[in-house]
Formats: sequence, structure tokens, C-alpha cells
Amino acid sequence: MTTNSLKGVKSVEALESLGVRVKNVEQPSTEGEAADVLAKASREKLVVFPVGGGTSISAGVLPENVDIALDTTKMNAVVSFDSANLNMTVQAGKTIGAINEYLAGHGKGFRIPLDPPFSDRATIGGVYAANSSGPSRLRFGTVRDQVMGVKALDAKGTEVKFGGCVVKNVSGYDMTKFLIGSAGSLCLITSVTMRVYPLPAATAVSEATFAKLDELEKFLESLRGSFLLPSGVLVEVVDGGYHVIAGFEDHPLAVERECKDFIAMASKFGGKGSSKVSKQEMQEAFRNAIEPKEEGISVKITVPISQGPRVLVAAKKLLPLSKAVLYAGNGVLCVYAGESDAGAIKELKGLPDNGSGYVVPVRLHRTLLSSFGPRVDQKLDQYVLQPIKKQLDPLGVFPPVL
Amino acid sequence: MDTKIREKIQKIVGKENVLWKDVDLEVYSYDAGLDRGKAGLVVFPSDGQQVAEIVKVLFENGLSYVARGSGTNLTGGTIPMNGGIVIEISRMNRILEMDLENERVIVEPGIFNLTLQNALAEKGYYYAPDPASQKVSTLGGNVGENSGGPHCLKYGVTSNHVLGAEVVLPNGEMTWVGGKSLDAPGPDIMGLLVGSEGTLGIATKICCRIMRSPERVVTMLAVFNDVEAAGQTVSDIIADGIIPATLEIMDNVVIRAVEDSVHAGYPIDAEAVLIIELDGLTDGMDEQMKRIVEICEQDGVASYRMAKDANERNELWMGRRNAFGAVARVRPAYLVCDGTVPRTELPKALAAVKAISKKYNLQIGNVFHAGDGNLHPLIMFDDRDADELARVHKAGSEILKACADLGGTISGEHGIGIEKLPDMKFVFTDADINMMRNVSIAIDPNGLCNPGKLIPRKEMVH
Repeated sequence: MTTNSLKGVKSVEALESLGVRVKNVEQPSTEGEAADVLAKASREKLVVFPVGGGTSISAGVLPENVDIALDTTKMNAVVSFDSANLNMTVQAGKTIGAINEYLAGHGKGFRIPLDPPFSDRATIGGVYAANSSGPSRLRFGTVRDQVMGVKALDAKGTEVKFGGCVVKNVSGYDMTKFLIGSAGSLCLITSVTMRVYPLPAATAVSEATFAKLDELEKFLESLRGSFLLPSGVLVEVVDGGYHVIAGFEDHPLAVERECKDFIAMASKFGGKGSSKVSKQEMQEAFRNAIEPKEEGISVKITVPISQGPRVLVAAKKLLPLSKAVLYAGNGVLCVYAGESDAGAIKELKGLPDNGSGYVVPVRLHRTLLSSFGPRVDQKLDQYVLQPIKKQLDPLGVFPPVL
Repeated sequence: MDTKIREKIQKIVGKENVLWKDVDLEVYSYDAGLDRGKAGLVVFPSDGQQVAEIVKVLFENGLSYVARGSGTNLTGGTIPMNGGIVIEISRMNRILEMDLENERVIVEPGIFNLTLQNALAEKGYYYAPDPASQKVSTLGGNVGENSGGPHCLKYGVTSNHVLGAEVVLPNGEMTWVGGKSLDAPGPDIMGLLVGSEGTLGIATKICCRIMRSPERVVTMLAVFNDVEAAGQTVSDIIADGIIPATLEIMDNVVIRAVEDSVHAGYPIDAEAVLIIELDGLTDGMDEQMKRIVEICEQDGVASYRMAKDANERNELWMGRRNAFGAVARVRPAYLVCDGTVPRTELPKALAAVKAISKKYNLQIGNVFHAGDGNLHPLIMFDDRDADELARVHKAGSEILKACADLGGTISGEHGIGIEKLPDMKFVFTDADINMMRNVSIAIDPNGLCNPGKLIPRKEMVH
């Protein structure tokens, strides 16, 4: 186990850049070592902050002082990969990029359809704990649709295991789902079992640009109502209009048809488009579209699907210099801004109409986060989350629950 | 039941909506499982507000209760314990909002799954989970059990499609969890509630994701001379990179029962039939079906045929959906096991079922969601024969143990209820169960919300 030296440890830097003071860091490489850290913390009443690649640290509560940053990035082994049953178990600290690299090199080639921003740093444990997602969620859903089982350590370091390696499982409470989004407040996630998919037979990227908002809206509505099954549909505001990128993956004949229909539909609503069929293009195009040049500060806004384009425009009006990407089929808008926009970012809270959606911090300084106000419904907080926190982590070893 | 409590509840819902005479209560003392338990009262609320008021009265008076839909539960999950109150939600059965633009519907929990499907089909949409009981099982019950169904192979189970709910918590407080928008901050409370078997609250409105109906559906019936070959075909299709909408197998015992009952057109001398359904875009589908036929042939299929039209497809499905009911022609009662194994372990699981059938001298038919590795061995018996019933319970538990030992689990979609409480130790440690128990204690500290279900008492574990 690597301990103590804080200098140059990325997770510590990420925490400190957001205003969290870290006294110590532990980087266990086994579950046993991680359990020892928690047992010690529990005995000595220390505050432990579980952290992976540090890409979505603000999904939960950021304490002012952390005794131990429990950095999982050295717990990064593939525990098992079952190509016949299409599932794999990996330790929490393995990055999404490394998982896909591993899978691509086996047999005919496989992958997991999780493609959050910064996949080369985002760990599977962190993606699970922060409920991060990427463009392919339109077709494949998010962690809650892909993860089948989880192993974790409770606040005393005792191992618990929920779910398993079968896709249908209703034995006991679905703790595998409940811990998604818990942001290290209830358990330390040590390994995750998830579905694996063969690499698609064909992929393609289609793009179109629209000059007017109502043209874009009509196009997106028509696309949703069609039989096409895009993996992801992204929209950005560009000079002179709105740029749409859609990725398709399927049987080659289906992909060919989808590309053609996409262009025809775009042109019907006044857009100009093109399509390109190529194996690599889709993932690359998605990555280029969602990742900002600099990490800065970021939030995710979710609204009913049809409100997405209007919220995109409103967000760009509030933060003209930000990068804002709409996951159009999901009603999810990711906004990345510079530190200088910190003051304005709170204004985004008013964008979902009458509480019809959420504004979810992804990367925000802790002072900004604490002034962000309650993120969970008051009754759910009082009667569900706080009582569970009290039962599962009575000493407060982990950071507070939202 | 205390008359004062009865009067308080009658005041909330009206006298005509409370049953309290013995003969009426008897009707609500069982579900589709084998357990029995008599209710103190049965109450029929008409909206969420009434549910909240009823729960508040029960909470204040320390009385337990269970929410019940159509009672199709197969593990005793809807049986009242210790004279608890049954909150019958069947009158709350409206579609409140069909929001096609946002691909969501909001329904009351008492609506039948099929009623919702039919309403959506008219608009060119569908809700993916399709339990075989869909004609009568309610959405509220589906949420409680995290129901699956044949189409869950490709599209996932209830928890993948229920995005929010108005919930009455065990203390009578009402609130929304999730909703039309995705990614509510914090732990996934909706994910916890789905499949919690009514032990953490009662859903009074449910927000579901709906999807556009596929452009084309192709259904094929493949006939095999042995069950293992059918199982192998399932693994081979998926290994080839094709994920069909469904892959369902029935063995000879079930085929015969189905043909005697509903005449679905299955050959009665076949050892197994496999229903394969593809859905999606028309383009490329013929090529995929051709590939599937090649795989079937390579695995020794005896014969196959495609459903020519929607009527023929419905006939094939009618056989599968009525399989449980059909076996009642063989023996008066049955116990459905619901173990799940990794797909490639299906042959071993079937061999274990066969050995257990022989050991306990019981007739067992097999229906399974083969693509998911979810078995439903149907143990047939006469419930008036106490000795046979005792053997049935032992055999059921041994089948689940075999599934757990093969890397699977003890319930794929029917829940734990009362029946499988002792079997929880096959898949969970004390620490796992303690954590679940702590979650239950946190939300329902007085233990009034469908008590005695899902979480085994301490002495039942190790």
C-alpha cells in the first residue's frame, strides 16, 4: 500500500483544487488493504473520502477536512471476464478507457457501452458512485442499466456483496442500484460486475446543422418518433445555428439505412447534413463532442426530453463562454465553464421549469457547492437518506450523504 | 380488528370500501404462492391521498399492512401477516398522463400491465416489461417485485423502465421519488424501491419510460429433440453477437400441457421448443434471422417455422403465456421455482432439476427465459397430500441451492416473499443481510410495512 506522500497524487490534487483539505492519502491495491484503512478509520473516528480518477468529485458532499483520501486507482485488476455470458468483474479503480482497451483485445472484440467524459481517468467505481454517463446512454442506458453486481466495504471495513453476474436478479433489496450515486457516502465500492457487448458489426456518424431553434426541435421530435435507433444524439450551439451529431451501430444494412434516413430527415426540416460510416469514427466523434479543453467547473442539467433544446439555449445565454452539450434523446445537458463563471453557474438552477428536472453538480468548488442549496427532496432526505446514513455509517467515517 | 380503527378507515374511504367480515377476508388470505394469512381488514382506497391517510392511521396505531394488486405474487409477498391490513389498490387504475413527446406515462398502480400496453400500442409505443401474468398483474405489483418477462432479455426489467413514483412512506408521508427527468441527485432511491416487495412504502403513481414500437418483429419457433441442444442454441446465438428480443424454452412436459389447454401449435412429441423473436429495423433483419437458422441447424434443430403474421405470432406467445395455468391440467397445484444461472450453465441447472425431480419423486416441467438464464421449473403436486407438499418444499429449495452454486441466484423475477426467506443464505452473508435489514429499519423503524417478507429473521441465517 502506498501512503502518506500527498505530493503529486492526482486524487489529492483534485480534492484540494476544490477546497478540500486532505491530511493523508492511502492507495490500497487490494480489498484487504482497503478494509484495514476503514477499520482503522472507524476505530480512530477519522473521515475517509473515497476517490477514483477525480472527474466527478462534486456529485456528493465535499467536507472541509478529510483525514484520509482513499484513492482506489491502484485497485485496478480485471477480476473476471466471461465472454460466453457477456459479463465482467473489475476492481473499482480501473478506468473506463483501460476496461475497453482490455475488452477490445479479447476474441472478436468486446466493450462496455459506458462512455463518460474523461474516460481515460474516470474509474468504473467513480462512474458508478457518481452516476456518470456519456452519449451512448441513449441506447444503452447508464450504470443502472449495465451494472449487475457490486462488492463494497462498509464503514468498518466489512465486505458486502449485492447482485451478481446474472442479468435478472430480485433476491433481496436492489442495493446494487441504491448505491449508484451515493458518492462514497455509504460504502467504499471495491468491484463492479457489468454487462459486456461484442463490438458492433458497423458504426457510423451522421451530422447536421440547423439555423433555427424550431427547425432543430422539429427535427429532434421527428427523429425520436422514427424507427431509427441512434446510440447517441448530441447537440451543440455553433456559429450560425445548432450542430447535431448522431452515432449509429448495428447490422451494416441497418446502419446504412439509418444514415440515409437521418440526412433525409434533416433536410426535410431545413438542416444540412452528412454521414460517414467507419468503425472508429463514432466513439471519437462522441469524445470530441463531450470533452472540454479544460476541466474547469461543470454541472449536469436534466429536464423532460422535449425541453432539452430550449434549456441548451438558455444555458448558453447565461454562460456564453461555456461548452454546453445536450444529450438530446435523454434531456441531459452537460455544461462546462471556466472558474471565472463560478458566480453565474448558480443561475442555471432556475432552468428546469417548476422543479421538472435537476441541476446536478459534477465539478464545483466546495464553497460553491455548499451555497448550491439542497439537492434532494426534503422528505426523502429526512425520512429515507439520513436514517439510512445513520444506520449504515453511524460514526460518520464516510462523507455526509446528500 | 378494533372497531375504532375500522371506523377511522371507513371514514377515509367510505363504508362500502372496507371489507371486514370473515368470508370476505378469506378471499384475500392467499396469492399465487403456497402461503396463507388472514387479513384484519381489506381497504380499497381510490387515490394516493387516501392511501397516505390510511397508512398514517395504521402508523399511529402500530398496525401492520400490505399493499396488494391482483395477488399474482408467487412467493407469498402479498399475504397479510399477523392479521395485518390489506390495502387493495385495484381501484386506482387510471392512466393519468400519456406524454408521448417526452416518452413517459404516469399511471396509477392498480392498472393492469396489459391495459397499459394496449393503450400504448394504439399510439405506436410500448412499455417493455411484459410478465406472463400481464393480463391481470398490476403495475404496482410489477414495481414491488421488479417484474421481468420474455422481452426483458433485450430491454431490461421493471427497474430499467420505472423512472419515478409518488410514494407513501411507512410513516404516512407522501412524496415523489424521481420523475420524468433522469439522474436525480444522490443514491438511487427509485432503484431501491423497485423490487422491495412493498416493504419500504407504497407507490401511488408510477412514471414509466415508454419506447417507440419497433418497425418489424419476426418470430420463429424452433423444435428440438433434446433440451440441452435448445439451451446450446441460445448461448450460440448470443455469442454470435445477436441479442434477440426474446429466447424462451419450454420442455416436453409443458408443451403437452399447453397443447392440451390452448393449442398453440407446438409439436407434442418435441423435447423442447425455443421461441426466438427479433425486433428492430427491417434492414438487416432477414440476414440476422438467416444466421440464427444456420446456428439452429448447426445445433441439430429438428424443424423450425416462422410466424407468418401477427395472429400466428400471438398463438405462439399464447402458449408461453399460459404455460403456468396449463400445468394445472396435469396436477391440481404447482410451485414455480425462479432460479437464475449464467446462460452457459443452463444445461447443468436442468440436469440438477432432473436429479431433484427423481430424488423426491415429483413431476417437474420446465419453462425458462433462456436468454437470461432464468429457469422456471414447475413442480406439480396435489396440495391435499401433506407428504408430497413437504417434498415439494424441499425440492424447490434444493433447486435454488443448485442455481446459487452454479453462480446464479434464488430469484430472477418472482421475489423472496415468505417462501424463499430461508434460501437467502444461499447467496448472501450475514453482513449482506444486515445491511439490507438496516435499510429496512431506517425507512420503516416500526416494522409495519409488509413485515415478515424479503429479509430473513436473524435466526434463519447461518
